[in-house]
Amino acid sequence: MTNSARSQIFAKLRQASRGAPVDTLERELQAMGRAPAAALPCPDLCTAFLANVLKNQGSVDCAADRSGTVQVVGQYLYQHYRSHRLVAGNDPRLAALPWRDAGVLPRFGSVEPGEPVALSFARLAVAETGSIVTWTGKANPAANNLLAEHHIVLVDSADLVANTEQAWDRINQDMEKSGRPRGINFIAGPSSTGDIEGQLVYGAHGPHSWHVILTGDVPVTALHEARDLAGG
Amino acid sequence: MQQTSETFLENASEAIKDAGKAQRRDILAQFMPPVRDAAINNFENFEALRQHVKKVQQHSLDNLDHYLAQFEQESVRNGNQVHFARDGDEFNSIVLDICQQHSARRIAKGKSMVTEETGLNDFLQRANLDVMETDLGEYIIQQAGETPSHIVGPALHKSAAEIRELFLEKHDLGPRELAETADLVGEARGVLREHFLNAEVGIIGANALIAENGYSMLVTNEGNGDLCANLPRILIICTTMDRVLPRAEDATAMLRLLVRSATGQPQTCYTSYYSGPRREHDTDGPLETHIVLLDNKRSDILASDYHEMLQCIRCGACLNHCPVYASVGGHAYGWVYPGPMGSILTPLLTSLEQSVALPNACTSCGRCAEVCPTDIPLPDLLRDLRHEEAMEKLSSRPWRQGMKMHAWLLRHPRLYHALTAIGIPILHLLGRKRGSFSRLPMADGWTSQRDFPAPQGKTFMQLYKARNKASRTRADD
Repeated sequence: MTNSARSQIFAKLRQASRGAPVDTLERELQAMGRAPAAALPCPDLCTAFLANVLKNQGSVDCAADRSGTVQVVGQYLYQHYRSHRLVAGNDPRLAALPWRDAGVLPRFGSVEPGEPVALSFARLAVAETGSIVTWTGKANPAANNLLAEHHIVLVDSADLVANTEQAWDRINQDMEKSGRPRGINFIAGPSSTGDIEGQLVYGAHGPHSWHVILTGDVPVTALHEARDLAGG
Repeated sequence: MQQTSETFLENASEAIKDAGKAQRRDILAQFMPPVRDAAINNFENFEALRQHVKKVQQHSLDNLDHYLAQFEQESVRNGNQVHFARDGDEFNSIVLDICQQHSARRIAKGKSMVTEETGLNDFLQRANLDVMETDLGEYIIQQAGETPSHIVGPALHKSAAEIRELFLEKHDLGPRELAETADLVGEARGVLREHFLNAEVGIIGANALIAENGYSMLVTNEGNGDLCANLPRILIICTTMDRVLPRAEDATAMLRLLVRSATGQPQTCYTSYYSGPRREHDTDGPLETHIVLLDNKRSDILASDYHEMLQCIRCGACLNHCPVYASVGGHAYGWVYPGPMGSILTPLLTSLEQSVALPNACTSCGRCAEVCPTDIPLPDLLRDLRHEEAMEKLSSRPWRQGMKMHAWLLRHPRLYHALTAIGIPILHLLGRKRGSFSRLPMADGWTSQRDFPAPQGKTFMQLYKARNKASRTRADD
C-alpha cells in the first residue's frame, strides 16, 4: 500500500515540479540570502540574551568562574526550595564542578518522580530569542528538561550566539564532527499555556520555573542593564 | 470527522444565539490583533522576513519532488521509517498498524490538525486503543466530546466554569474547589503526567520538515509534544508533505513568522528538532520512530491555481482578524479548519459541493490577506472559489441570475449610471425624513439586522464629476 502510495504521490509531484537541476536549486537558495532576525534590545550580546530570558519569564544570574557557578546554584536552591539537592545529566562539564564547596548535592542521571529540581548545561544560547539549546543524550536526558518542577540551566558566554541562523551554523559544525543528535531542544521559558480563556498559566506540563545562569566572561553591568531593559 | 459545512448558515445562526460564547469571541477578536501587532512592530523588519519566507516556500513547493525525496532520504538515514498515505483512510490504517505491531494500548498524542483531518482518534479508539490528547486545549475538547473551534486555541470557546464542571465530572479525584485557572491546569497536568509515563506510543505533528538533515520541527508552549516525543518507546510523527523546507535556517525563519502571528510571542517555549530513534549511547528516547506523510489532495492543490494555500503555516492570524469568524466561531464552519484559511482549505480538501457556503462566508474586507504571515492572497482565492461555484452551478439559481444581471449591468456603465441617477434621488427622497430605511425590498438580509442608510442625494459618479470640474475650474483660474 505504502509503496504504491509513494510512487503515485511522487508522480503527481513531479508533474507539478519545475524539474530544475540540483545546482540551480542550490544557486537559487544561496541567492535568497539569509532571513532578517529580530532586533536585539541592545548591542551587547550577554545583556541582550539576559534581557530576553527575563522577557520569556525566566530568571537570571551570572557567574564568572566554576567556584562562582556552584555558589549561585547553591544560593538559588536554598533560597527557593530550602534544599541542596538537584539532578543533573551525565555531562562531564557538570561533573567537574566543585559542588562540595557550595554544599550542593547533585545526583547524576535522569529526573525521577519526586525530584523537583533539574540542572542542565546548555550547548548554546541564542540572544535573539532568549533561548538555551540542549542536545538529547546521556549528558542531558529529556526528562531533566521536561519532568522537573524547576529547571536550572548553565550556559557559557562563549556559547552565546546572536541569532538562530548562527546557532544552526554551530549545530551543523558539531554534527559534522559528532553526528546528528536525536533531538535538539531550544527552550525559551517555563512551560506555559493560554488554553483556558487565554489566561497565561506556567507549569502546564513541564517546569513551573526556569532559571538561567550565564557563566564566564560576562560584562559586570549585564545583569543590571538586562533587568532595566526587561522592565523589571 | 463528520462534516457539517453544508449547513454553515444554520450553524452560524445557532452559534450567535449563545451569548456567553459570543462574548468570549468578541474578547478574543479585540485582544489578539493588538498582541500580534506589538510583536510585529518589535521585530522591526517583518515585511522583509515575510517576503523572504514566501520566496523560500515558493521555491520549495515549486521543487517539492526534489525536497521531499531529499527529506525522505535523510530521514531514513537518521533511522526513521517513512510512510506515504494518499488519503485519510490510508493514513489512519498506517498509524493503527504501527500501534498493533507493538501491541500498544496507550497512546499519548500531541496537537495535530492533520490527525483531526483524518479522524485518527476515533479510528484508533474503535480499535480499542486508549488515545489521550495531551495539549491542554485538545484534552479539554476530547473530554467534552467536542471538536476544535480554533486551530491554535482549540478550547477557547469554553469558559473556565464549563471546564471546571467538566473536570469535576471526568476526573474521579474527590471533592475539590478548582476555583482558579491555575488549579484547572494543575489538575490536567497531574492526570496527563500519569498517561505520559505509561504510554507505549507517542504521536506528534510537525511544523516543518527539514530536507537537508531529515529533522522535523515541533513547536509548543506546554512541552506536551516533547513529552510525547521522548517518553514512549514508539514515536509516530503525523504530518503532510507540504511542510518540507530546504534548510534548518528556513524552518527557523518561518518560526519567526509563526510565533508572532499566532500568539504574539518572540519565541515558543519549546522548539524541538527530532531526527529519529535513540542513538547508541543514549539513555532515553523512542526505540523506533515513524514519519507518516499525508497527501489528501495536496498534490492536486499544488498543481492547481490554489497552490499558494500550501504556504499556510497554521498560525490562526486570519481567524483572529476575520469579522465572520469573530461573529460565528469555528464550529459553524463544520470541519477541521475554520475562518478564511478554512473556507479555502475545506472545499479543496473535501469538496466544493460539501462546503458551498464557506467561500461566501467573507465580507471581502481583506484583513486576512493583510495579516497572513506568508502573504497568501486569501480574499482572491475565496473569490476564485465563488467563481468556480457559479461556473459549476453550485450556488442557488436566483443568486446566479442576480449576479448575472449585476455583471451585465456593470459591463454597460452608461446604463448603470443612468439607472443609479434615477434610483438614488428616489431613495434619497423616500428616506430623507428618517435618514435610513428599516425595510427595503430584496434587501431583508440587511434590514432584518440593521437599518440601511438613505443615500445623500447624488451618486458617486455625479459627485466625482462635480469635484473634477471644480478642480479644473480652480486650475484655470
